[in-house]
Amino acid sequence: MWATNLRIIGIVLGVLALYTLIANKIPQVQSEVPKALNLSSNVTPEQLVSAGDQLFHGAGGCTACHGLGTRAPNLLTDEKGLGPIGARCGKREPGKDCKAYLYESLINPRAYVVAGYEPIMPEMGRTLSPQQLWALVAFLESQGATVDVSASDIPPAAGPAAAAASSGGGGGPGKIADGSTDPMAIIRGAGCLGCHKIGTEGGAIAPNLTHVGSRLSQALIRECILKPDTRVSKGYEKFVGVMPKTFGNMLTGAQLEALVQFLASHK
Amino acid sequence: MTDGLLVLQAAADTATAYRDFPVIGSRAAIWIAAEIHLMFAAFVLGVPIFAVVAEAIGIFGKDQRYDRLAKEFTRLLLIAYSATAIWGAVLVFLLSTLYSKFWAYLTAIFGVSMWVYVALFFVESFTLYLYYYGWDRWKYGRSKLVHLGLGILLNIWGTTVMFIADSWLTYMMTPPRDITPETSPTSIKLWHAILNHTWMPINIHRLIGNVVFGGAIVSAYASYRFLAARTDEERAHYDWMGYVGNFIAISALIVLPFAGYWLGREIYQYDQSMGITMMGGFMSWLWVIQAFLIAVLFLAGNYYLWVGMGRIPGAERYRPYTKWLLVVLVLGALVWGTPHTMIADSRELAAMGGSHHPLLGALGVMSAKNTAVNLMILSTFLSFLLYRRANIRQVVPWAKTGTRIQAGMFVIAAAIVLFFGIRGYFVEAIVRIGYSVYQVGAVLACIIFVTLIDVLMARGAQSLGAIQWGKMPPRSQYALFILAVTFTWLMGLMGFARSGIRQHWHVWQIMQDTTKYAATPALGYAAIMISTCVLIFLSLVAFIFWLGGLAEKSTFVPAVSPVEAPHVGD
Repeated sequence: MWATNLRIIGIVLGVLALYTLIANKIPQVQSEVPKALNLSSNVTPEQLVSAGDQLFHGAGGCTACHGLGTRAPNLLTDEKGLGPIGARCGKREPGKDCKAYLYESLINPRAYVVAGYEPIMPEMGRTLSPQQLWALVAFLESQGATVDVSASDIPPAAGPAAAAASSGGGGGPGKIADGSTDPMAIIRGAGCLGCHKIGTEGGAIAPNLTHVGSRLSQALIRECILKPDTRVSKGYEKFVGVMPKTFGNMLTGAQLEALVQFLASHK
Repeated sequence: MTDGLLVLQAAADTATAYRDFPVIGSRAAIWIAAEIHLMFAAFVLGVPIFAVVAEAIGIFGKDQRYDRLAKEFTRLLLIAYSATAIWGAVLVFLLSTLYSKFWAYLTAIFGVSMWVYVALFFVESFTLYLYYYGWDRWKYGRSKLVHLGLGILLNIWGTTVMFIADSWLTYMMTPPRDITPETSPTSIKLWHAILNHTWMPINIHRLIGNVVFGGAIVSAYASYRFLAARTDEERAHYDWMGYVGNFIAISALIVLPFAGYWLGREIYQYDQSMGITMMGGFMSWLWVIQAFLIAVLFLAGNYYLWVGMGRIPGAERYRPYTKWLLVVLVLGALVWGTPHTMIADSRELAAMGGSHHPLLGALGVMSAKNTAVNLMILSTFLSFLLYRRANIRQVVPWAKTGTRIQAGMFVIAAAIVLFFGIRGYFVEAIVRIGYSVYQVGAVLACIIFVTLIDVLMARGAQSLGAIQWGKMPPRSQYALFILAVTFTWLMGLMGFARSGIRQHWHVWQIMQDTTKYAATPALGYAAIMISTCVLIFLSLVAFIFWLGGLAEKSTFVPAVSPVEAPHVGD
């Protein structure tokens, strides 16, 4: 009987191990929480675009439909010969400029359903704050149009707690991770894990940084952070321009050096 | 919801709303408590359903074996009820101490229903005790019918309890749209909150799922007793019990996808983004795992039937067909497991030449998947039909015509499934979605009418020999264990899908989770949690069964010839 018992235990454990193994072998994608934005009154277009970029590719969930060519129109790439969204947003509705069209499309998506697609887009105003919505508008404008979203469009975030909850999407140097020089705090605060993977954390749509120190010197890592498009890893050509170019303005010198040394040590 | 409110909520939350659980964290603690409670609850709700059905078959079919089977099922329930209550209490204590603000919000809306829930659980428990301990006292005549009535009452209480609990969790997923973050919970009408978008689909889905789960656990119990049996008679009894449990599990499994489809449609109708998150967002890979699990279920279930045909005289006539059924099942499983739209990195996108694979992408769409699963269901039904009629020769004069009509129904159902599957590629998505209803309708109609014809044809049929219950190789019993583990794991996985699509919201778009565990974890972490829960649950169930064996001998009665036991449904 003991042999039978052991066989049963072996089968149960074997089946559990198999399912667990398979689930761990597939790409690991975590659903992130959209970070609240606290954009200052002198927020620059670059900062808005950067924040919108992070939302678009991360917690905003936009890429689940846009860019696949089936569920929703392409926004960052050409859509049926009309170019990316920035090239066409100003011509979609007579008398409505690009900014107004994009904002209304986000808060009331059923107002302008593109022919050939179904009205499946949720009202983003239910899940995103006005600041986040305007950051998205700025990012979408940056795809072929002039970014004309400014601080005057954006209502202020409420309360002193806003600063504590702010992400790296806006503000000047030191805003990321409250100026902390803890490399992982910077990485999380800057949203790097939305695209890059480090160890077991992060996404898979940008180069894996787990062993980046074995591929790049400190100088090259620094250059890639400050000027992301100067060196493009093989296989990621399609994503040129996706990484924000604003980290030089958003990180303090101490933060940048801490980050560079941390990544360089990952051999 | 405004950013300001979220921020204020976050600030308040960090002060008083949450506590952390040592070592594993509060999310993992709640996960384990909720899932194991749910597994026990599914077991104690599913088993009474077929216990009472078995008892009714025993009464009206005048077959005592079914009555004894029902009693043995019910005996397994007694300790399982205590375990359900204990884990339920653990869950409530953890919720109220770790997520006190959220718990206060829920109780402000559902407080009255929670009192009713407790009262009904109390009544349900005592009905169970009366049902079980009164079994031998109310055994004959009208009193037996009263006893059957107790069983029905037990199911009514249990189902009502489940419906109440479902209202809490479905409110968290799909709160009525007129409720906003600013709505005071005390101003929300209870019935309005209960009647939310996914309440009834979840109720139905869980009702069927519980029967599947209960059947699988009982058949695993029977298979263990089969392997441990010391006499042929005992082995025959537990072979039959395992067959009945598996029959019930697989029968209910066949209709479960239809209930799941209804639930999915309601989720989409409530909020497209929630549906997209579930099917095409960060959870898209989950469905590949689900397809793998379903494939295991179909293959193991059919394998058990095919091996079981070895103990039926006359079944050799049908053996050549099994390899073709296997081909359909394997091909169907491969199509169902083909990914469509999912998050891929740049190298994968470049390798595929786009967001979809040029060849396999066509198989990843719902047209192909619906076709595959419907053909798998038809194949499984055909397996069962062959098993069922293996040892009989029909003597009714229209037997040949009836068989031809049955074959025609299979062909027509398969043709309808294929036709709408192929046509789905050439129409708009909104039209395509409607096609699945025709496919499901064709399969269900085939199952119902073919079964009806088969029952009529079997009247007065000539026996080719009695089923040799107990003459099963041990590997068939291990297949039942694999089925039980897979059903349990699948339940955990789909629970993660249902709960996970709320993402960082306690109550969707009304109350945000602001803990450090707010991000919904990736599938790898979820799989580890699910496996842990399944292991704890199965260990406890094994302990409970062992206790049951200590307390009382099995209801197996060797004096009755096992070979007289009929098929289910005969």
